[in-house]
Amino acid sequence: MIIHAAHISKYFAVEGGMYKRRTGLVRALEDVSFSVRESSTLGIVGESGSGKTTLAKIVARLIAPSKGTVEFDLARINNFRKDVQIIFQNPYASLDPKMRIKEALYEPLLIHRLAAPRQLRDKALELLDIVEMGEDALVRFPAEFSGGQRQRICIARALATQPKCIILDEPLSSLDLTIQLKLLELLLRVKEKFRLTYLFISHNLSVIKYMADFVIVLQEGRIVEQGGMHELFSHPSHPYTASLLRSARR
Amino acid sequence: MLEISNLHVHFDLNGTIVKALCGVALGVGPKETLAVAGESGSGKTVTALSVTRLLPSSARVTSGEIYFNGDDLLLLGEGALRKVRGKEIAYIFQEPGTFLNPVYTVGNQIMEPLLLHQGLSRAEAFAEALKLLALVRIKQGRRVFFSYPHQLSGGMNQRIGIAMSLACRPRLLIADEPTTALDVTTETEILDLLCELKSNFGFSLLFITHNLSIARRIADRICVMHKGFVVEEADTERIFSSPQHFHTKELIRAYQAIGTL
Amino acid sequence: MAKSERAHTGMNKLLCTGIVIIGLLGALAILAPFISPYEPTLIDATSLLMPPSCAHPLGTDSLGRDLLSRIIYGARISLSIGIIAVGISLCIGVITGSIAGYFGGLADSVIMRSADIMLCFPTFFLILAVVAVLEPSIINIMVIIGLTSWMGIARLIRSEILSLKEREFIQAAKAIGASHMRIICRHLLPNALGPVFVNATLGIAGAILLESALSFLGLGVQPPVPSWGNILIESKATLGVAWWITLFPGLAIFVTILGFNFIAEGLRRQWDYNA
Repeated sequence: MIIHAAHISKYFAVEGGMYKRRTGLVRALEDVSFSVRESSTLGIVGESGSGKTTLAKIVARLIAPSKGTVEFDLARINNFRKDVQIIFQNPYASLDPKMRIKEALYEPLLIHRLAAPRQLRDKALELLDIVEMGEDALVRFPAEFSGGQRQRICIARALATQPKCIILDEPLSSLDLTIQLKLLELLLRVKEKFRLTYLFISHNLSVIKYMADFVIVLQEGRIVEQGGMHELFSHPSHPYTASLLRSARR
Repeated sequence: MLEISNLHVHFDLNGTIVKALCGVALGVGPKETLAVAGESGSGKTVTALSVTRLLPSSARVTSGEIYFNGDDLLLLGEGALRKVRGKEIAYIFQEPGTFLNPVYTVGNQIMEPLLLHQGLSRAEAFAEALKLLALVRIKQGRRVFFSYPHQLSGGMNQRIGIAMSLACRPRLLIADEPTTALDVTTETEILDLLCELKSNFGFSLLFITHNLSIARRIADRICVMHKGFVVEEADTERIFSSPQHFHTKELIRAYQAIGTL
Repeated sequence: MAKSERAHTGMNKLLCTGIVIIGLLGALAILAPFISPYEPTLIDATSLLMPPSCAHPLGTDSLGRDLLSRIIYGARISLSIGIIAVGISLCIGVITGSIAGYFGGLADSVIMRSADIMLCFPTFFLILAVVAVLEPSIINIMVIIGLTSWMGIARLIRSEILSLKEREFIQAAKAIGASHMRIICRHLLPNALGPVFVNATLGIAGAILLESALSFLGLGVQPPVPSWGNILIESKATLGVAWWITLFPGLAIFVTILGFNFIAEGLRRQWDYNA
């Protein structure tokens, strides 16, 4: 097991009134525990408000849990920011609008000292090649690309640090179905080639079916069911899972 | 009912000409649902907006005809066109939060087409607006009437959009990706609502989408567009059973892999 | 629609006009030694209080010094004080605003409360008090103005950073392992600096006005070094007889402030369209 999450809870305080007193508590996540096997894809399913994005950010160590821990296999993941990467939902906000693509790709290489200054350009071209984009992309700004292309660039950036694990938080939401399929095919190829572990979050059950080996179903911050993808989809044991599958099949 | 033929539209962006539509031809019969499917940039939205000339000022229609009940809409003057917009042909758009004016209450906005096109008094318009809200299955119509768009959910706002578009009982409803910004359960509800309203009121529906699973559910015929061209048009079942064009097949492949369970 | 499209393409007219005005002023200031007809401190007892003529296009003052030369050299002083004072306040403002916005917590409270305290003082009187105690020199003035005008910039930067902090590309930078310094300098500031340019441009205009006022009161640049403000000191006594001593320095200040305001407004319009 490369990732082990134990009893994760996350609460957000609701501040109100003149003195910003705590008037309430939003329980985004409540006692969530799961494990991820190396080189597998864990799918996290839930509707909006289920806490999926909060969970993604906690695993990515962008926010801290209120309770519980996420442990990583230290033998495989020893430099967290290098070995674990995240790809966000909104391709229009994930790239710094003032940085050219080449700078965006050089940055992780420079931070982790993965290439000498002379080799930066070649490495960046390699990364663009993996995501099937040409070298003319280097000098451009994010605004010149479509949503699907920007996500490819984000994938290239994530691969720059040669990670072992990638967290994907609804990476396909605002894209056309045909582009979604192309990106998923790319993600599978990349996973195969670099033997990555994926944590794939989505509200779209067909996408989860396409990508995931194991699935967790979240409802209002709690896990209601988890298991292998095929068993869960053919014989769901929790009523919520069953209703999700029913509406998806209509 | 609606017959578009040989439509060419290009955009003039500071000297650069971008061809948006190259000879688009399609038709919607009375009480029929036509889905226009294609990727982003294929020209679906431009086609929809061209019907009542809602395009931005940089767009030029260079040739073609758009016949609606015998009249070529492209030849109508502004005044005549305004009478058609909202009354005969109505729209619903993708982002429910943006086509509703945030500074006016929802009720105010529903009443607007009623006061404008049907010349009702304020009291009559108020009653009619509440009826419309009930039609789109909004419970607590009075409370919603006096609310502002930002106080309501996306699904609710989209229903209001539908209510507004039906205010003058149009004969053609053009829906441009109305469910793309909504989550799956709400999407299902909105689509069901549209189908029910269509069978009750008998309007034709021109539905733009990039998602073939939606098209399959509600459309009688599907028209596939790619980069400004219509590449294939046929009955829904035929599109799925024997797609002819490469891009239709691409759309179907995506649909089968991740558009349906 | 059409008007906004025109403004969209390249620089708008306001911005151009402003840049031309300030550009000319800057040229005057830099080329002062070459284009000014006389030494600004040259006393000519034979030409006291002469009205504008061919020999002295803008007239002379009560010590016979050529007004045109004094105004050209005055441009040097005013512009350099304005630019350096704003430079100082930019440095302080950007650093404090970034720390306050990015780290929040105690640092934020301390910095913002300090800014609030400083904003409570009427700046002009604060400067007067300080300058009255220290000797009025050009450097002192630059530093004082700089130290008392960083607050607006700090607030601007802080609020821009607060809103940018939560955007995905900043989280992405954190995720690839960027240090705080890197995130602030490489990602946050380039995106946050937009409104600051407008503020800084207006700040230069304000600093020039401030310096003129101080010099007019005798607490700024000391004669014989010419500054538009201290040329105006004489205008009080000579208003009835020598209108040129009042008009031309005043005009110079007016045109300069106008130029900077045009640039600021032009920039603001530019950004509103491009943002």
